[in-house]
Amino acid sequence: MDSQTTIRNEDSMLRLKIRSYAKEQRQIFRTNATDALRFGLGQIKSEISELENLSAKDVCGLAARIKRRKHATSEDMYRLSHAFLQGNENINTFSGIPGAIQVLVKELSGPNMQRQIDAAECFCNLSLGDGHVSEKITALAGSYLVTYLDGKEERLKRSCLWTLANMLATCEKAAKTLLQMQIVPKLWKLYTAPTDDLNRFQDDAGICLYLIATHAACTVSAVDRRYIVEHLHEKLPTDPGSDYYMYIIYQLNIVCSEEDLSVQQAESLVNFFVGNLKTDWDSSAGGSMRIYYGVRVMANLLAKGDPKLLGCLAEPENFVNALNRLFALQDSNLRYDLMRLLKNFLSLNIVDSNLLLEQLKVYA
Amino acid sequence: MQVSGNMHCQIQNTNKMDSEAASSSSFFTREQILQMLSELPAAGFMKPAVPPSPVLPPFKKLGVLVDADDIIDAKEATGNSSNNNNYINSTQSYLCAECRRTLPTAHLLDLHITEQHDFYFAASVERGDKPMFACYLEECGTKFHTPRQRKDHCITTHKFPANYRFDQDHGKTKPKGSGKKSDASMEVDEVPAARKTVPYIKAFCFGHHTMRTFNTRKERQSGDTLEDVQDMKDAIDDILD
Repeated sequence: MDSQTTIRNEDSMLRLKIRSYAKEQRQIFRTNATDALRFGLGQIKSEISELENLSAKDVCGLAARIKRRKHATSEDMYRLSHAFLQGNENINTFSGIPGAIQVLVKELSGPNMQRQIDAAECFCNLSLGDGHVSEKITALAGSYLVTYLDGKEERLKRSCLWTLANMLATCEKAAKTLLQMQIVPKLWKLYTAPTDDLNRFQDDAGICLYLIATHAACTVSAVDRRYIVEHLHEKLPTDPGSDYYMYIIYQLNIVCSEEDLSVQQAESLVNFFVGNLKTDWDSSAGGSMRIYYGVRVMANLLAKGDPKLLGCLAEPENFVNALNRLFALQDSNLRYDLMRLLKNFLSLNIVDSNLLLEQLKVYA
Repeated sequence: MQVSGNMHCQIQNTNKMDSEAASSSSFFTREQILQMLSELPAAGFMKPAVPPSPVLPPFKKLGVLVDADDIIDAKEATGNSSNNNNYINSTQSYLCAECRRTLPTAHLLDLHITEQHDFYFAASVERGDKPMFACYLEECGTKFHTPRQRKDHCITTHKFPANYRFDQDHGKTKPKGSGKKSDASMEVDEVPAARKTVPYIKAFCFGHHTMRTFNTRKERQSGDTLEDVQDMKDAIDDILD
């Protein structure tokens, strides 16, 4: 009798454990699925008509509520997030209320993980606003957003990356401040992290670096550039987000006369470029970015004047094959860059230029 | 020489292919290519263009839509047990085994353990021969002699807020009146430590405030003193006898 009851108890314990495990799994899957739901400013109104319309008055009420209480609750932050998605007026109203952003900062940096995530998502939607809002977020919460890039929590990290991307795209002053917070090495670490289930931030980190290269390349410090040079070889052409790689390298002027490259670093660039040529590139923006900027990076690598840095492209056969494949695209914009590449190669004087030119197939 | 020799062989092989290809589409001749090359700027570096060319599709800013169910689940989870939240915090952040403080990054935890729980570090700081306090940003790598210098560095160089939450000294309040003391103040006798530590306890009551009245109690103090004097007189008398 006793043995039967103990077996029954064990069964129920096991069942409970399995049930709680399944619940946990469902929660994880739901969280991951929720992460994919993204909307532009005002887009939510047209997409989901059932949502309640939150006006600037509601935002004022919510701001007063979170300021009055000890903590901003998850529901309050959820409603604020929705309000920010609905229009720029709501964002401007909230950012104009003294002390309201500070409450969100307090929750973002507080001890409760769930409220940290909610606050980060709130900031993500708040960053859809204009430049002055981005500046405010950067000054008050930028250090925490950058710090959490090294954290463990996936959803928090992702929300921080999305917020940072929005701010980098909006305001140059905010971008400059973020660069002072050493955002570049942190992003590069995420960008070049090995791909596994826990590290799925390469694309988002790549977008942030792409935005820095586009809007704030001149404010990137020499130390940050040096960091990228030292970790060039960590990115592979098959990794996620590798479309941005050559663009970032070129726009940040990583291969230039001032920066010394080791043979290993230069070879990694050459292998990346050759790897791009071997794969079938498409006509999408990502595919063309790899090619256009890859050619320019190679031209600059040749301009350094050291044949040791060329890797497999030092072989004239490989070089001619690569050029012929690219000339065959018959792209007039690309042809100019290819000609610069060819001129830099010929200036190295490692082959007879006449023999090389004989082999080239440049479409008229 | 070997390279040019190989090239010559390849040219012979590819000449046939060239002639075949030329029939289908036209290629630039060697002279034409040389002409094009001469029109280009001198060999050298290509500078990044601002704005970048070719123009790429603009980045679209996106917000995140939170699912209401997640909020409800989170509320339930925190409502059911605070242990659950503690568990999430401990698994998703870095926890100090000594004092149970949670920190968001491994670097900040490293700094915390070194600065708060490492006696060797404390001794090194006391010796003061080299800077020991590392910057809060792992990538910065600068070290300072005092936490104050580090804080100033983080505020001025990295634009951190003055009340940075993960500051190791955050939450430690200054002793009262420490700011008022100046070098010009007059030297006074030190108050004994035991007296210093005794707190001032305000008189409290349980709802019945003390009324201002005449004190009708017998003064015990004076009585005690008189008794002591009497004892003393008796003792002197005994000695004299």
